[in-house]
Formats: sequence, structure tokens, C-alpha cells
Amino acid sequence: MPMTVDYSTLAVGQEVSNRLILVDADTVTKYVGAVDDATALPGGTGEAKAPPMAVAALGLRGVLEDMGIPSGAVHAGQELQLSGPVDVGASLRCRATVARNSVRRGSRFVDIAMSIWSEEGREVMSGTTTLIMPEEAG
Amino acid sequence: MTWEAGAILRSVEKSITQERLDDYAEASGDFNPIHLDHEFAAGTRFGRTIAHGMLVAASVSEMMTSSFGLDWHRSGRMKLRFKAPVFPGDTATAFGEVKAVSDAESDREVVCTVGVRRQNGEEAISGEARVTVRRES
Repeated sequence: MPMTVDYSTLAVGQEVSNRLILVDADTVTKYVGAVDDATALPGGTGEAKAPPMAVAALGLRGVLEDMGIPSGAVHAGQELQLSGPVDVGASLRCRATVARNSVRRGSRFVDIAMSIWSEEGREVMSGTTTLIMPEEAG
Repeated sequence: MTWEAGAILRSVEKSITQERLDDYAEASGDFNPIHLDHEFAAGTRFGRTIAHGMLVAASVSEMMTSSFGLDWHRSGRMKLRFKAPVFPGDTATAFGEVKAVSDAESDREVVCTVGVRRQNGEEAISGEARVTVRRES
């Protein structure tokens, strides 16, 4: 269930999402079709690899759902650090916390730090998403 | 491939359509009406629907994968600022140029200026990407 969030009360370090995500073939195929990624699924002799941005999008999906990001919120920036290929079919855990919550020139900026781990405990990706909240969201 | 400062990465061009935004919403779970609902979007400062930032940014990662292969998956870093919206009907082109190359014992770090331009030349995304390239690759 999404939280009902008063964004002005989000504290730095507060956990806003902690989910298992499955990078299954159907999801990756749908993603690749949507973005038209010509480099997707470099198979070769090993397992097919998911495009890094597919993994990031799946991580963000949980954050959006858990935080109940309001209509009209705008994605203003994205940092990503990749730490290893992700096999299609992998199960990952994504944890997200508030990295910044401030008001600048009348707009609320919320940075969400995301860390994604493999089942073996290896971090495969981390990043920070900057969102500008619509005025009515507080 | 030997990378040197000034080298231009092969650009990636995408046609942005409302259908693509709808498909991306389904694939990513991002159903923010600013991307999907014409009536809602008309009431925002953009005046119409805009592409998801991550949809447009995906072409930067695609460009980096195309240039650096699995080294990008292993060690890629990127910092992007979404400066201007991309609208349905636009053609968005991801571009990149090698800014610096530094050698370590067994690896080489390549730093690139990257971004996405709309068809009118406006920069929708700007930023930097870094990747550690294994010598043998």
C-alpha cells in the first residue's frame, strides 16, 4: 500500500522503500520494447544481461509506489553507479532512503538514494533521484 | 578500441511518441499523468504531456553500452541533469564526447560529456559519464 506522505516531514536517512524486485524476461522484454534499446540483452555465451536502466526503472517503480509520488512531480536529475551486470531472471533487493529534502525558490526538492543488491549480497547499482514536487504536495 | 580525449561516441536517436510514453509507463510503472493524461498535462507549466526523464536518459545508457559494452555494466557512473522536457513528436538524440582518459595499472578510466538534444538543438539532458575500461577490451 502506498504511504500517504507529507513530503515536508520526510527526514534525511528515512527509509521510504525496501522491496524485492524480479528482473524477469517478460519485464525486460517489455522495457526494451518501450525504450527501443538496440544494445539490450547482450547474450553471447553467458546469461542475457538486463539493460542497466531497466534495473534502475524497476528500482524506481517500487519507490514511486511506496512513496505515492504525487501527480505532476518532475524528475530533475539522476545519478547512477553500476557495479556489475544483472542477469535477466535475477532477484534483487532495492532499498531507498531520503538523501535531501529542501525548498529552493519555492519548490520542494527531494533526493532519493537507492541501493540495489543481488541475492548474494553484492551491490549491483546505486543512485540518487532528484524529484521536484508539485506545489500542492507540500 | 583505444579511447582518446576528443573522440565522439556514436549517437543514439529516438523518435518520442505518445505511444512510446504509454508503453514506458506500462513497463516502468510510472503512471504520472504528466506523461499520459493530455488534460492534466495541459494544466501544468509544460502545457502538454512530456516524456519520462528515465525514458529519455535510457538512450544515454544505450549509447554507453554500445561504446563500452559490459565495462559500462560493470563500472559505469553517470550524473544527469534533466534541463528541458522532451515532448511527443520530438526526435531525441543522445550524444557523447570523451573528455579525459586516465591510465591505471590495468585499467583506463574514460570520462565523457554526455547529453540528449531535441531536434531543435535544445539540450534536454546534460551530464557526465565515467567508465573503467579493461585494457584487454
